[in-house]
Amino acid sequence: MILRALLAAFHKDLRLLLRDPVGLVFLTLAPMIVITVAGFSLASLYGAAPRGEESYRLPVVDEDGGPVGRAVRDRLRHEPAVAAEFVASRREAIEMLERREAGVALVIPADASGALAEGTRSTLLLLTDPVKYLEVANVRVLVEELRHALEEEGRRQAALKVAAARETGEAARREFTRVVEQARHETEALRARLEGARAQFEERKRTARERAEGSLRVLAAEHRRQVAERLARELAPVRSFLATLADRRQAFEDWFAALRKVAGQRAGDIPEPPAPPLVPAELTELASADPEVLVVRLLGPVEGQALPELADFDLPRIALPSPIELPAVPEAPPLGMSGSLDIDEQSATGAPRRLNTFDQNVPGFSVTFLLLGMLLGVSLALLDERDWGTLERLRSAPAPLSVLLVAKLGSRIVVGMVQMLLLFAVGRAAFGISLGPEPWSLALPTLGIVFAGTTFGLVVAGLARSRESVLPLGSIAIVTMAAVGGCWWPIDLEPPWMRTAALAFPTTWAMTAYNDLMIRRQGFAAALRPTAVLLAHGALYLAIGLWLFVRREGRDG
Amino acid sequence: MAAPVTLYAAVDGSIVVDRLEKRYGRRQALEAVTFSVHAGEIVGLLGPNGAGKSTTLSILACALRADGGRVEVAGHPLPAQAGAARRALGYVPQREALYPPLSARENLRFFGRMVGLDGASIRGAIERALSLAALETRAEEPIAAFSVGMRRRLKLACGILHRPPVVLLDEPTVGVDPQSREYIFEAITALAAEGAAVLYSTHYMEEAERLCGRVVLLDEGKIVASGAPGTLVSDLGRAPVLKLHTLRALPEDWLSLLPSARVRGRSGLEYEIEVDAAADLPSVLLAAERAGVEIRDLRLRRANLADVFFALTGRALRDDPAGEA
Repeated sequence: MILRALLAAFHKDLRLLLRDPVGLVFLTLAPMIVITVAGFSLASLYGAAPRGEESYRLPVVDEDGGPVGRAVRDRLRHEPAVAAEFVASRREAIEMLERREAGVALVIPADASGALAEGTRSTLLLLTDPVKYLEVANVRVLVEELRHALEEEGRRQAALKVAAARETGEAARREFTRVVEQARHETEALRARLEGARAQFEERKRTARERAEGSLRVLAAEHRRQVAERLARELAPVRSFLATLADRRQAFEDWFAALRKVAGQRAGDIPEPPAPPLVPAELTELASADPEVLVVRLLGPVEGQALPELADFDLPRIALPSPIELPAVPEAPPLGMSGSLDIDEQSATGAPRRLNTFDQNVPGFSVTFLLLGMLLGVSLALLDERDWGTLERLRSAPAPLSVLLVAKLGSRIVVGMVQMLLLFAVGRAAFGISLGPEPWSLALPTLGIVFAGTTFGLVVAGLARSRESVLPLGSIAIVTMAAVGGCWWPIDLEPPWMRTAALAFPTTWAMTAYNDLMIRRQGFAAALRPTAVLLAHGALYLAIGLWLFVRREGRDG
Repeated sequence: MAAPVTLYAAVDGSIVVDRLEKRYGRRQALEAVTFSVHAGEIVGLLGPNGAGKSTTLSILACALRADGGRVEVAGHPLPAQAGAARRALGYVPQREALYPPLSARENLRFFGRMVGLDGASIRGAIERALSLAALETRAEEPIAAFSVGMRRRLKLACGILHRPPVVLLDEPTVGVDPQSREYIFEAITALAAEGAAVLYSTHYMEEAERLCGRVVLLDEGKIVASGAPGTLVSDLGRAPVLKLHTLRALPEDWLSLLPSARVRGRSGLEYEIEVDAAADLPSVLLAAERAGVEIRDLRLRRANLADVFFALTGRALRDDPAGEA
């Protein structure tokens, strides 16, 4: 029963909304008009129109006429924020400023290219109209980027030359090292060859000596043999005589002994025979000696026989060069120009550095008009119900009043979601807004702000007793929440205390989520916390609104 | 004289209001209000603005809580069984209570679903209601284009779409044309004939006298009289009054020969003549003719519930007497 009542009330409220074409147009067309106007009006706030439809005229005087001038021309041609117009003279540029056709003019001085090439200073000149502060500031930033880029290019070129020179020197050093190393190797080889030759000579000399000594020894042995043979031959008669002598002596002694024996008793009387001459022992020894021994005795032992001294000779001493020890050739130190402290701007989230103004304005003004539609729509619709008397009648219906309110809020939420979907779709098609890496995640903060805005409408309806009080009360609430919450301009333009105070508003959380998703290009996780806060806001408003509304309707009945 | 105030020690019926009390801050809106409405009965709730009629109806419609007393709707005590009571109720508030951007059929469908009708039952109920309100040919048009009378008929049709046993009507004919009023009267009479208990709040005396078997006169939150309209009026005992508008002044003694008639007041060429009985009226007209004065306009005014109320409270029942004709 309650569910049927809820659905019936939901359909009824949708029908009521659809029967109000002006209101529907208000929900979609009006915000698109405001978004368009605000987007183009505030484009310069962010530096440029998103698609370069509108850009600052920038007179450029190229007194240099060199590479710097050409580089400036090339770079400005691709810069959407300015429309560079090259003029002939400073006078012509100043006249454009005086006619207020431009707020800034850029002069490239005559020495710019030379100074840059020589590493000396040169100064780009900005002629400005101080009244056009924002234009001056934006162009100043652009020129600063341009100057930085030119310097960087000059440094890059110089660094390339230094690197080439260093590479050449390094190649020469490597060749020198190679040649010296080769010489060292060849010297070492020569030294080795010399030492080899000397060793070979010594070996040959030793072999020759040994061979000569061998020959001498053979000759000496032959000589000994011949001497021994000669001795044996020469001593043979002696030896024979001595043998005969010995035999005769023995025979004599035997005869004599026999004589004595014959002499019997008288043997004593026999006188001693005359002693034969004694053979010198040396002769006996000589005759009986081995010829070899005699050879040794005569010539000495073989071992002690001195060979004739061979003539010795030697190679002349050649002083070999000492091994070459090359001192280490130091590598060339890295050469380069003194670096400058550069600033490189990178988006921390991968978002482009140039902001599409509509990335801020489409969600901002969509939220504003969403609040207008939801907050005023809900409160005025409830006032309509009171004025028409339908609320009074429905209070006697079986379904609780809260069901009717929830159905009304539900239908508004559906309309709000569709409204936001349309506005984002138009924003994408017409202004190329970013939908972030996960477009579906935009539904999270959208649901949150639609819920919060709708339920806040119930609070307003509970507080305001008439249309005359709804409009100022709702308008004040919407304007405050939208402006302070960053719907109309980046919240970072506000002072810190106001940004802190803005956390109390649902718009702040919605814009935080939209900026994170659309501009900072973060994923859906970035939208979870803001969405949770928005839903909490909505739940709080719902509780307060129901309490206020039911309490007042009960009392007023 | 008016009938004495009847306070029921115990009441029964489809609608039971017993010693009902309601305060708005320090103001006592209802004080010991007691009446009942039985099935098939049409009871008129009469009183000037601020008398407590709407408060009583709001309490009966479960839109407001009483501070004291006993209230039952179709046997369901309030507020304990408000849900069941709501399902038995058909409430037709004083205001239009319709959605102007929606068509008659869409309004009927919505209110039908809100009282639990569905499917074939709601389709049949819608057709019956369109027929009752004589809006069959305009069923698909947004009712913003309807006349007041058409919207009042549709409002009634929305309230009784589900044929409730208890019907609360709060000034249902305010601002409607005679034709629409007749439609509404027929519908209400038919409801009662089908057995519904109808509580009809109005300050149109002739409507109450025509439709209601009984009336309850409220003043400053209290019942000052209740009963059948005819009884209350007759108990007042007031003679009819003839209002004459003449082309020139009547002579001072023009009624001297007619003792049953007396001039009660005069304003310029307008005379209020009180007569003892309606049968004396021709004699009054004849007397004026005999005086040679031509009558431009004449109206007869009998005593009614407003007179009863005036007699009881000293105050008019309506802020705008012109509407009482």
